[in-house]
Amino acid sequence: MERYWNEEIECASREDMKKLQDERLVAQVKHVYENVKYYRDLMDEKGVKPEDIKSTEDLHKLPFLSKADLREAYPYGLLAKPLSDCVRIHATSGTTGKRVVAFYTQNDVDMWEDCVARAITAAGGTEDDVVQVAYGYGLFTGGMGIHGGSHKRGCLTLPMSSGNTERQIQFMRDLGATILCCTPSYAAYIGETLHDMGLTPDDIQLKAGIFGAEPWTEEMRRSIEKSLGIKAFDIYGLTESSGPGVAFECSEQTGMHINEDNFIPEIIDPETGEVLPEGEVGELVFTSITKEAFPLLRYRTRDLCVLSRKKCSCGRTLIKMAKPMGRSDDMMIIRGVNVFPSQIETVLIEQGYSPNYLIEVDRVNNTDTLDISVEMNPDQFSDKVKDMQKQERDLAEAIKAMLGINPKVHLVSPKSITRSEGKAVRVIDKRNLHD
Amino acid sequence: MSNVRQISVFVENKPGKLAEAMKLLKSSKINIRALALADTKDFGILRIIVNDTEKTVDILKDASYAVTVTEVVAISIPDSAGQLSRVLDILGENGVNLEYLYAFIGKSDRSVSFVLRVDDNNSAADALTDAGIIQLTENDIAEM
Ligand SMILES: [Zn+2]
Repeated sequence: MERYWNEEIECASREDMKKLQDERLVAQVKHVYENVKYYRDLMDEKGVKPEDIKSTEDLHKLPFLSKADLREAYPYGLLAKPLSDCVRIHATSGTTGKRVVAFYTQNDVDMWEDCVARAITAAGGTEDDVVQVAYGYGLFTGGMGIHGGSHKRGCLTLPMSSGNTERQIQFMRDLGATILCCTPSYAAYIGETLHDMGLTPDDIQLKAGIFGAEPWTEEMRRSIEKSLGIKAFDIYGLTESSGPGVAFECSEQTGMHINEDNFIPEIIDPETGEVLPEGEVGELVFTSITKEAFPLLRYRTRDLCVLSRKKCSCGRTLIKMAKPMGRSDDMMIIRGVNVFPSQIETVLIEQGYSPNYLIEVDRVNNTDTLDISVEMNPDQFSDKVKDMQKQERDLAEAIKAMLGINPKVHLVSPKSITRSEGKAVRVIDKRNLHD
Repeated sequence: MSNVRQISVFVENKPGKLAEAMKLLKSSKINIRALALADTKDFGILRIIVNDTEKTVDILKDASYAVTVTEVVAISIPDSAGQLSRVLDILGENGVNLEYLYAFIGKSDRSVSFVLRVDDNNSAADALTDAGIIQLTENDIAEM
């Protein structure tokens, strides 16, 4: 039986939801215009007044915000409340340029935790569950966000943070954790470590996992489900719009329901900015309609995906987003072809390889090169060189069939590629070094 | 039947990787009796015969090496011209395919020892026995 955390919202009629969104959007635009000079200037520049926004149909009239705006406005430029009303700060790791710093009022934290509680409930979580939070705690939204949602749901919460994998497994066993929350790459590593310790999924009580904060493939999901003996649920979010919980997966596992009472999604053409109809692939844009301290309107996520209002078997009416194909930042253009690391991951797992890999892109004599280091599969190890070379060739062929370009595949030792306890680094693009 | 167990180890073709594997075996007091390395641009396959196969496999696996054990035929032949090609002829005549072979230091100056990796150990052993070629057991090699 499907359980909901907030049935009234999660299963609301389209009509009721739209009415709620319209009211909230109108109030939010007014709040932002009055309190955020940076966005007021953008609106004035475009000639849009708060009065012009009467419902969600008018959303497209508003200017976009991009990561560049966030950098420009760092740190307080997009703050819509006095700091004395704020109770929390989170930030991105800031690997490219300045980090994004987000502010939260108590209401913002409550809303966020409510979204996460919906996700935990959709994954089967009840007050009888023990939730092991193995996301990093700190500025990163993963740890604290899931932690708060787990509290709200009434689960017994194990604030492990990431790392110390053998201890994670020991706690998981001793305290009977039933739901694991972390990045998918860390979940895969925990699964691998479990097996290395001579244990099987029968030795743990996990039944579900809620994994997010990085793109992962359907093949990776099946592989984690098998190694930990669980059902794995996707969760989506970004620091710019609170953190994990913007969207979450239900038992159908065919995309994530967006908490559209708080976040209105749009899909746009990344080139023209034009809004695309439902079902088309484009860049995901979010408008926060309830956030007080850091309310981003029409924020361009750079995530490429599809929205769908198809009826879901779980009973929720919240719009669904497909698993993002990757951030537009993750996309590499190699010899003119668009390549996502997730495509390569799909092939690796299908061919029985570990999802630990390293993609190196370079330019030699004006031609892009694509080298993929893959951990050889110990079960397929042969003492004959030609057998191993055939494995390299077969894998290169399969990747070529997927991407349309020829990679060089290098088999490396098992477990030699650094395991990630958080977000995994899969790509090294050396071409930038030459520019 | 006296097939000999050979351990094959996957080693990346990067500086220090082979030395790392050898150091591990040495520090574990493993005695390597025969050794050969086949390598490509990316990786090498280290093939060894040791005095304690089980222990060696455990040590390597614990250190996350990919390891496989295969049965091979080991022979000792006089160190004179034409002896090895005679062996190869015998195998060929009996329809046994040779994957690879390598020499190792034998008991005496007047003989050389070879490891033969063939597709059919039983046929190879029978053919070699019929031709009077001395085959070594794992014990023979351990005691060398
Ligand atoms: Zn659903």
